[in-house]
Amino acid sequence: MSDHHEPSLSPTPTPATSGRPDGIPGSDLTGPWPVGQYAARLRGRLRGFSHVQVFGEVFNLRSGRARVWFELRDERGALPCSMWRGDFDALAAPLSDGQRVVTAGGCDFYPGSRTASPAFSFAVTEVRVAGEGDLLAQLDRLRRTLHAEGLFTPQKQLALPALPRCIGVVTAEGSKARDDVLAGLRRRGWAGRLVWAFVPVQDRHAAPAVTGALQDLAALEEVDVVIVARGGGSLADLFAFCEETLCRTVALLRVPVIASVGHHTDRTLIDDVAALSCSTPTHAAEAAVPVDCGVARQRLHSLASRLERQGRRAILERARALARLARAPADHVDRHRAHLHQQSRELRASVRRTMAGEERRAVAAAGVLARRGSAATVAARRSRELDRLRLALGAHDPQRMLERGYALVEDDSGEPVSNVADARGRERLMLRMSDGALPVRPES
Amino acid sequence: MTESTISYETACGRIEEIIRRLDSGDAGLRETLELCQEGRRLVEFCAGELEAVGRGLEELKLDELVARLEEGRAAA
Repeated sequence: MSDHHEPSLSPTPTPATSGRPDGIPGSDLTGPWPVGQYAARLRGRLRGFSHVQVFGEVFNLRSGRARVWFELRDERGALPCSMWRGDFDALAAPLSDGQRVVTAGGCDFYPGSRTASPAFSFAVTEVRVAGEGDLLAQLDRLRRTLHAEGLFTPQKQLALPALPRCIGVVTAEGSKARDDVLAGLRRRGWAGRLVWAFVPVQDRHAAPAVTGALQDLAALEEVDVVIVARGGGSLADLFAFCEETLCRTVALLRVPVIASVGHHTDRTLIDDVAALSCSTPTHAAEAAVPVDCGVARQRLHSLASRLERQGRRAILERARALARLARAPADHVDRHRAHLHQQSRELRASVRRTMAGEERRAVAAAGVLARRGSAATVAARRSRELDRLRLALGAHDPQRMLERGYALVEDDSGEPVSNVADARGRERLMLRMSDGALPVRPES
Repeated sequence: MTESTISYETACGRIEEIIRRLDSGDAGLRETLELCQEGRRLVEFCAGELEAVGRGLEELKLDELVARLEEGRAAA
């Protein structure tokens, strides 16, 4: 920029305005001038600067109805830029955060009013995309390095306590993030010990300050978990949370770190190395205390009641079982007695039934016997007759005659020889006596 | 495991486990009594933890806390 020599900004004197206050006594400077008049003059001066080309990286690109705003940044400085929506839409390629671009334009100033804030911007009229942004490329390289070294893992292996007693919070003093953290903790019904580490969160002092605060908090034994909170912003504003030393420190801390330094579109490196990354400080606070303390109290009360109830029930059930067992022998005897009684009754009934049956059968048998008695008399009579016949028959038995001294004369073939003539004709005869036969020869 | 080494969530998990075991009706008398005793101890521990985060928010600044600790260390 060649216009280093700026013309005087003193407005052209105008007729005295009613209500103009007196100037500062003893001051050599002109005025006092109404601010609107001065702002309008300033705009004129700024617009008088030479139009130039400026290059850098696009950050924090955002659109309005009529205008588009972004910042051009490099490692030495930044410039707020604006474009008319029509010019922006006419670009050959759409712009995005991180792009390296060359812009053409000149300074502009919106003087504001009683109800609107003033704003300075570099009014861009033309853009040429020059390539991927160096800063984003550096960030990506560092992300890959940390990942390759395994530094995304250690924090995620730390157990997040369900009910921390002491929480450390790294944030900017008086920030909205601080209020959001408190709101999140209130929502959980948590009211323990909170250790605030207030640090700058977006300038070049931020990264070392945040690193130091984290190390100090981690050194306090009572701190169970640490929240790093910052409201949303452009990625450029969040670069402090991508600083290498800070990220390496976080990765190796003994306490879990919950990061909430941007939002989902602006992922910083601390989001990668932390135990947990949340989109808002409120969510970070809720993640730090996963337990809703009010609900947990009710739940614990319910568990305690169930435990007592179960304990009592177990004792009572066993006492009842014991009583049952104590009564068991007597019950057993009673059951057997009843059973025996029943069996006796059944036995008596059975005997009665059997006796009646037997009686009936005896009567029937008696009838049969009576009938059989007359048959026996006939048999005896027949037997006696038989004996008589047997005796009579015996009287005629030749054996009986032989036993009385008679002899039977037989020839050789056993035929009886009953006359002498026949006997003389035989060479040999047999005399059969009671005890055997005697061969004899007849004399002629 | 003693109460000094366990965490709130571990204690809660163990209480749930104890109640499931008691609900099952499979535990004998001695086991039941031991489980009840252990459960009561854990409930007291959890109640203590909840009590510790329910007394009222205590806000400290890191710088002041570190300074206080360093003073205490120097005095010792």
